[in-house]
Amino acid sequence: MVKLFENGITVLSWLATILLLTSLFFLVAYLVYKGGSSLQLTLIFGDTAPLDALMLKRQVFDGLLPAIGGTLLLIIGSMIIAIPVGVAGGIYMAEYCNSKIKPLYNLAFDVLAGVPSIIIGLAGLLLTIFLNRNFQGQIATCLLISCFSLALLVLPYLIRTTQTALETIDPVIRKTAPVLGASRLQNITLVLLPDSLADIISGIILAIGRCAEDTAVIMLTGAVATAGLPHSPFAQYEALPFYIYYISSQYTGPDELARGFGAAIILLLLCTGFLGFSVLIQRRLTTLLLYR
Amino acid sequence: METTMKICTQSLCFYYRRQQVLHDINLQLPANQITAITGPSGSGKSTFLMVLNRLWEEIEGCSISGKVTMELNGHVKNIHDPALPVRELRRKVGMVFQQPNPLPMSIYKNIAFPLHLAHVNDKIQIRENVESALRQVYLWDEVKDRLGDDGRLLSGGQQQRLCLARALVLNPEVLLLDEPTSSLDPEASNAIEKLLISLKSRCTLIMVSHYQDQIQRIADLHIKVLNGRFST
Repeated sequence: MVKLFENGITVLSWLATILLLTSLFFLVAYLVYKGGSSLQLTLIFGDTAPLDALMLKRQVFDGLLPAIGGTLLLIIGSMIIAIPVGVAGGIYMAEYCNSKIKPLYNLAFDVLAGVPSIIIGLAGLLLTIFLNRNFQGQIATCLLISCFSLALLVLPYLIRTTQTALETIDPVIRKTAPVLGASRLQNITLVLLPDSLADIISGIILAIGRCAEDTAVIMLTGAVATAGLPHSPFAQYEALPFYIYYISSQYTGPDELARGFGAAIILLLLCTGFLGFSVLIQRRLTTLLLYR
Repeated sequence: METTMKICTQSLCFYYRRQQVLHDINLQLPANQITAITGPSGSGKSTFLMVLNRLWEEIEGCSISGKVTMELNGHVKNIHDPALPVRELRRKVGMVFQQPNPLPMSIYKNIAFPLHLAHVNDKIQIRENVESALRQVYLWDEVKDRLGDDGRLLSGGQQQRLCLARALVLNPEVLLLDEPTSSLDPEASNAIEKLLISLKSRCTLIMVSHYQDQIQRIADLHIKVLNGRFST
């Protein structure tokens, strides 16, 4: 009976894995089937010569380049804001926070992590309206405000993953450096952070994915259907997820729909690229920090 | 020749949260000898070691009363004196744990780590100190060709000797050992015991141990602890 039960569990886990893999396969296959035909240079660059477009000599109007650029800038901008704050917050929570107030902060970050992204988008919009009123209409929805809102969206993940990574370090490793005469800061920077770097970077990867795919926040804070590549942080911009949403709800013909699927493939590739890049950094940094 | 006293405690009490762990301890520990501390689990042996290098300060909810003096650099000092920074104390009072704890770094970097923390930047000096520390624990010949390997890849006994070398590289005057051989096989334990005896000439050793035969082999002074009260 027990044997049967155990075998049943094994079969179930296999089935779950197979289900997951097949749905992933069908999803990607469907995307490629629908959007594969549109995957050409013209999808990205439109009628503009690719080299000219990349050198920013000529603007791209009917291609995805502005959306790709917008999404990239969005990710980079929000990470520049979120990573230092998030990692520092995590370090504070794990290493310095008073144990009496800690449960309260934990709860606060968990609540913030559970806030739907459309609410964060609304908060960004309210901030924009406030700034607009107080600075004589000079500030409108823009890339910078989207970056701030997205940073706010992923901040709790970054704080909690950093905190958990630090808190789960082997207690023996934790007291090694203090015993050898390390200050608290030396212990954190030389032992604890390098040791938990892999986990922290996993958190960053998740946060990047979240920034790349989120539509609700950016549609309220600055993403538009046509803007070209943003020329400053205070400009409106295009973004891939918004483009996909826009095309899929308002397409006028099969060609446009295919371009939407093409954009979806490009977004997936972009995320995969960031994932690979992060894994690379993870390996290099760990080696650099600990074995140099 | 009269033996000098290295460490003195006067009415030392230790509390964790509301529980008293050490009760009114008055002890004098002789210099350049191995003092063994024994007692059942939870009786306060490791806590006593943590008092001597003030490691307890890293743990929330601990407090202490009484006085601990130690002879460091030829002067008798109160170890809780604000003029004596805790980092300086810990450089003079080394500690080795039951579980070998090499950091996830190369063998060389593990030994050089305390020097790095103390802001020693002279590469040649670091190299010399690392080599001499590894020679003191008889590990040099075993690892001299693979100093760049991860310290965690060594055997258990080698790892413990690595940790001893790391504690010795700063030339401490006192070495605290928390059951240094209990995670090792007999052969590796023997090697560590011999090593500890050879270290008596340059440090004062305080060792927590569970093994009666080990204490008889190497300890000069034997202190028993029961429920936070010490007796010789």
